[in-house]
Amino acid sequence: MLQILQDILSGLWETSGLAGLAAEPLKLLMMCISFLFMYLAIVKGFEPLLLLPISFGMFLSNLPAVLPEDMIFHASYWNEPQSVEWLWKVLHDGGLLDKLYLGVKLQIYPCLIFLGIGTMTDFGPLIANPKSFLLGAAAQGGIFFTFLAAGYMGMSAAECGSIAIIGGADGPTSIYVSSKLLDGADSSLNTGTIALAAYTYMALVPVIQPPIMRLLTTEKERKIKMPQLRTPSKTEKIVFPVVVTLIVALLVPSAASLVGMLMFGNILKESGVAGRLVDTAQNALMNIVTIFLGVSVGATCTASNVANFAFVKVLILGVIAFSLGTACGLGLAKIMNWLSGGKVNPLIGSAGVSAVPMAARISQQEGAKADPTNFLLMHAMGPNVAGVIGSAVAAGVLLSVVNY
Amino acid sequence: MHPLLLANHLIMLAGGIDGDKRPLDGSEIWGVTLVGLGVVIAALAILVIVILLFGKIFDQINKNQKAKEAAAAAKKKPKQAPAKKAAAPAQAKPAEKPSPAPAVQAVPASDEDEVIAVISAVVAMMSEQDGKNYRIKSVAKSQRNSGFSGRSAWAMDGRRQNVNPF
Repeated sequence: MLQILQDILSGLWETSGLAGLAAEPLKLLMMCISFLFMYLAIVKGFEPLLLLPISFGMFLSNLPAVLPEDMIFHASYWNEPQSVEWLWKVLHDGGLLDKLYLGVKLQIYPCLIFLGIGTMTDFGPLIANPKSFLLGAAAQGGIFFTFLAAGYMGMSAAECGSIAIIGGADGPTSIYVSSKLLDGADSSLNTGTIALAAYTYMALVPVIQPPIMRLLTTEKERKIKMPQLRTPSKTEKIVFPVVVTLIVALLVPSAASLVGMLMFGNILKESGVAGRLVDTAQNALMNIVTIFLGVSVGATCTASNVANFAFVKVLILGVIAFSLGTACGLGLAKIMNWLSGGKVNPLIGSAGVSAVPMAARISQQEGAKADPTNFLLMHAMGPNVAGVIGSAVAAGVLLSVVNY
Repeated sequence: MHPLLLANHLIMLAGGIDGDKRPLDGSEIWGVTLVGLGVVIAALAILVIVILLFGKIFDQINKNQKAKEAAAAAKKKPKQAPAKKAAAPAQAKPAEKPSPAPAVQAVPASDEDEVIAVISAVVAMMSEQDGKNYRIKSVAKSQRNSGFSGRSAWAMDGRRQNVNPF
């Protein structure tokens, strides 16, 4: 009788989370990191809509479990090559977060998020001042110069592309590119760490960008007032998404899914005849996808994926990418200002990184600091939304050049 | 790096680089950087040209429409003018009464009074809430176009309210 009781208790202990924690003490560290992110999201308000699901996903996947069937997320599944058998294993044996993560791995969530962004974006300032496209293009310099730096650090092409795309300051694009490039690649990086770095830097836009903006512009340049933009007609706004999708798909077909969904969302909004669909895409659908994306990406941040030197390299190169993107945008805006005889405020160049609308807000704030009667927000929105298109095109180029 | 070697690698890039290839050689790294940046700038520059062209076309269409509307309005005016002229003799005698012009001028004056009344009411409400006594000493027109981008105080305040949340 005593032996039976002892066996039962021993069995219970061996399958308990406490035994799992004793076997993998790093999980405790990861749970503490997830608590830190929860604190930043709830108390400090750093991108709470995304950081909170990410941090809770991280917490869930690091809960100690010994038996595979008890695990809510299996990090090992996602390093295997994709096949029909693999898909069946994920669906049959995987935990809830494994099934949700399929939306990331199959590049469904980033495209749906782009659809939602499209319904919320006003391309009016970009149509009114198409030269803003060039600022959106220049800011993508951060992506390619970081590719250069990562390449010289001895990383593989897939790793270079996945890290470099962080410079686009666009979470969904980073997930889209890294999930394709790192699929089955022999790499210590994964989509989760790339997404975590991308969203961390997006939340830190108000910290990273202003010093660079002040360093690269003069007080006189920051005070430049730009003339009011014209108001584009409704027809122009309806034609714009069709034209952009067509041109981007003709030049860079790999960017067609991202740009196509962005423009689909936008035409729904601008047409004015699909109010219910717009409402769903920008509210319910966007919120659902954000929850699924956040919690499943957070789940990939297991001890084995994050507590290593590769993640430190991602963080360092990520901030370099972001800063270079800002500097490139400012640089071109300064050139445009010089060519136009002082009519372009260089501060709008930094908005070319596509963190919408935060990068444009920073341009507005820095302009208002130099002169409180200076309103740059609408002028900065042009390069800002151009940056979204630019980063999608850059993503397409990386996917075309690097075989995955 | 020799330019021919770089050109050769740029051509090779059309076939793509193996994602697992490590380490990349210098010309591959520079090739991806230059080709990538070049393609992004070229794609967006094409969009600039196309959108500028579209803008001009739509501007022209709008101008033509306005011109047509103006022409249509001009055609209608001569028809209405005789009617006015015909009515004029009939109104000639009562025209000795005070002309409507002063009445038209009186409207903005009453509007101004109403605006001052509204401002006074708001100040009175503030006074109640704060528990302090405020007094309006004067109401004067502000100097427009003096360092405020040509906008009225109301327009400036409205704009500030819209922009400040960002």
